[in-house]
Amino acid sequence: MSTVEARAENLIASDWNGGTLPYHVGHKKLGMWLFIVSDALTFTALLMGYSYVRMSSAEWPTPFKFSPSIVFSTVMTLCLLASSFTMVMAVSASARRDKRAVRRWIGGTMLGGLAFLGLHIYEWLHLIDEGLTPFALPAEWVQHWPNASPLFGASFFAITGLHMFHVLTGVLYLGFVALRIKRATHEDVEISGLYWHFVDLVWMFVFPLIYLMSVDFGGGH
Amino acid sequence: MSSRLSTISNLWKKQDFLLNFVCLIIAAGFLLLAVSNLSWAGDFLTIDSLFMMAVCLLLAGVFLFSPALWAYENGLFKRLLDVDDPSAAAPAEPIHFAGSTKLFLSVLGALLGLTLVEVFLAYVEVGLTIMLTILIGLSLIKAVLILAYFMHLRYERLSLILTLVPMLVICICLFFIFFPDGFRVRNLRPY
Repeated sequence: MSTVEARAENLIASDWNGGTLPYHVGHKKLGMWLFIVSDALTFTALLMGYSYVRMSSAEWPTPFKFSPSIVFSTVMTLCLLASSFTMVMAVSASARRDKRAVRRWIGGTMLGGLAFLGLHIYEWLHLIDEGLTPFALPAEWVQHWPNASPLFGASFFAITGLHMFHVLTGVLYLGFVALRIKRATHEDVEISGLYWHFVDLVWMFVFPLIYLMSVDFGGGH
Repeated sequence: MSSRLSTISNLWKKQDFLLNFVCLIIAAGFLLLAVSNLSWAGDFLTIDSLFMMAVCLLLAGVFLFSPALWAYENGLFKRLLDVDDPSAAAPAEPIHFAGSTKLFLSVLGALLGLTLVEVFLAYVEVGLTIMLTILIGLSLIKAVLILAYFMHLRYERLSLILTLVPMLVICICLFFIFFPDGFRVRNLRPY
């Protein structure tokens, strides 16, 4: 067989003729990728639902003052981005087979996630304290935005609540991987990294659409 | 003589077991008190209830100390937290992980910068369409950066990218079908 034919045969046979892994990734990793796409669609559905309700109502509350809401949520975003970076460093350390470093970097990632959770729960308590419930706005807001849809609470709590649940699950998952690092392979660390980056990715969309679109300019929008 | 030694060592083991058992029961009791305090205290965030909580947790910690020390001396912690695997054969081939620390740091810097631009934009009063376009556009750029470099998609096979990304984009575009109905509802409102 000439080299040209051999190369062509190689190209065609490379991924799809059996004897090798499809897409050249492991089964577990492909499964995680497919899960990520499906979960991204779940969050897209929620965000689209929120967009629909918002654009079809006459008025929508824009209650997020610079301090504490926007400051806190920006810090939360920076926490998640930093934790994504530490996760990449963890995967990189795992490729060097430096398991102690992997554990340290994953610990840093978990810290970022826990900081995010703590700040977010504070944000939630602050809003609940003001009187926001899933199906009704606080009296103060009704005065300020009289024709506003009461669904601000439902959309806010549902979307950020589901995201917080994903962050919590991610922290627990990472903790499990870090604890069992002796028996975890490089692929396991990579897969947990994929999940964590997905959580960060979702926040990249949730943060502008929910927080930055509802900034309180002080005199009402 | 050796049977005496073995009886003594057995007694030590029984002592250990009894001590650990009693300590764990008492610690569990205090932890239960701490948890019950959450529901018994009317307003949890008062000095009284927080003090009660702190005392219960402290006493639980005191009674957990002895079993923990026993576990440490008997190597239980080492077995749990051990990192080096002596049974694994020395791995031959290095794992390829493309991307240097510098690259990841610069991606992180870009992400942070774009975030700050978005926050700044929120306070500049542009029209709704422009604001939404810029926000979603910047978020898309951030998403692509994370997908490509942090999730390593750039270094995977093209077939994987072509399987995952178009599926996502098509489904997201299908969602936009609902927006004309939203406009209809908005125009129907009397106010």
